[in-house]
Amino acid sequence: MKRLLIRKVVIGLICTLFTLPVLAQEDELKSLAGYVDFGDLSATYGEPKITINLGGTMLNFVGMMSSSESPETSDLISKLKGIRVQIYSLEGGADDARDQFGKTKSSLKSSGWEPIVQVNDDDEQVLVYMKMIEGNMEGMTVMVVDDEEAVFVNVIGQLNPAELAKVMDRFDVDVDVELD
Amino acid sequence: MNEYDDKWEDRINALMDGELSARDAELLKTEATDDRELARAIIEAYQLQQAMDAIQVERAPDSLRQRLRAIPRQNRTKPAFSLLQPRWAMALAAIPLVIITFSLMRPDTPSASEIAKARQEMAIAFAYLDKAGVITGREIESSVGQTMADAVTDSVNRAIKSQNLNSKEKEA
Repeated sequence: MKRLLIRKVVIGLICTLFTLPVLAQEDELKSLAGYVDFGDLSATYGEPKITINLGGTMLNFVGMMSSSESPETSDLISKLKGIRVQIYSLEGGADDARDQFGKTKSSLKSSGWEPIVQVNDDDEQVLVYMKMIEGNMEGMTVMVVDDEEAVFVNVIGQLNPAELAKVMDRFDVDVDVELD
Repeated sequence: MNEYDDKWEDRINALMDGELSARDAELLKTEATDDRELARAIIEAYQLQQAMDAIQVERAPDSLRQRLRAIPRQNRTKPAFSLLQPRWAMALAAIPLVIITFSLMRPDTPSASEIAKARQEMAIAFAYLDKAGVITGREIESSVGQTMADAVTDSVNRAIKSQNLNSKEKEA
């Protein structure tokens, strides 16, 4: 019994130690003007199927690594301070995700974010907001909720969509983007 | 044992224990030269003392010693969970050590695999941004037509680009 307790304590300790750097990176981003709190949908949908928290330090390293093969990509990354992604599978219905979508939208409006594009279909909602402070872009937020998944993306820093489209071909990534 | 024996026994014991003064000891020895019983009693006392001194302490078998040592531990009432117990105190003391070890094991410079993983994660984020861009572009196109969609998209891009140029100028 005691051994089991000790094992639990040790496992808990190790998990905590490994989680600390991730939490520290999240805390580092929270202080930035372009940060958006997407809330937590894990109570309804379980843990997100994708969670990404990249801070400025890591992005700097990625930018440096990319500089030799693509100066354009390196230049794009150098303007970023953080990237956060949360993607949930909506197997239990999209109602809670749509509620969270609405709450975040209200929160963005009240905190000075500007709507760029919004799609309000019955089965699909897309929202792109941008945060500007004294003429400088501080962040961009993209939220997509359809019947299958809820996607929350928060880019902190400056990002030009036209430049993004140019560099996308260099990334070998498949995210199962379905386009009807 | 009669009164005579008791009287001498006390003095002989005192002599053996070194508690008799030099004068009394000398007196006792003088008396012993005239009293054979007393002399014999003193000699027997000396012999007994030597015999006692010759006896060595016998070491108990290890199994018996272990069992005897275990008795207080078995009869002790077990305390409830306490951080003051040696094992927990040691575990608590080890926590800062583990934290320091882990912090030393995690250098400030990420490894190549960590950077590659971060690049992949960034690409995933960009792909979802691109996806959102395609969906919104398609929606605008279906609502207002291709020409207007391009105009809207271009104007949004120009607006964002102008912000970037503006910030570059400020930086310069």
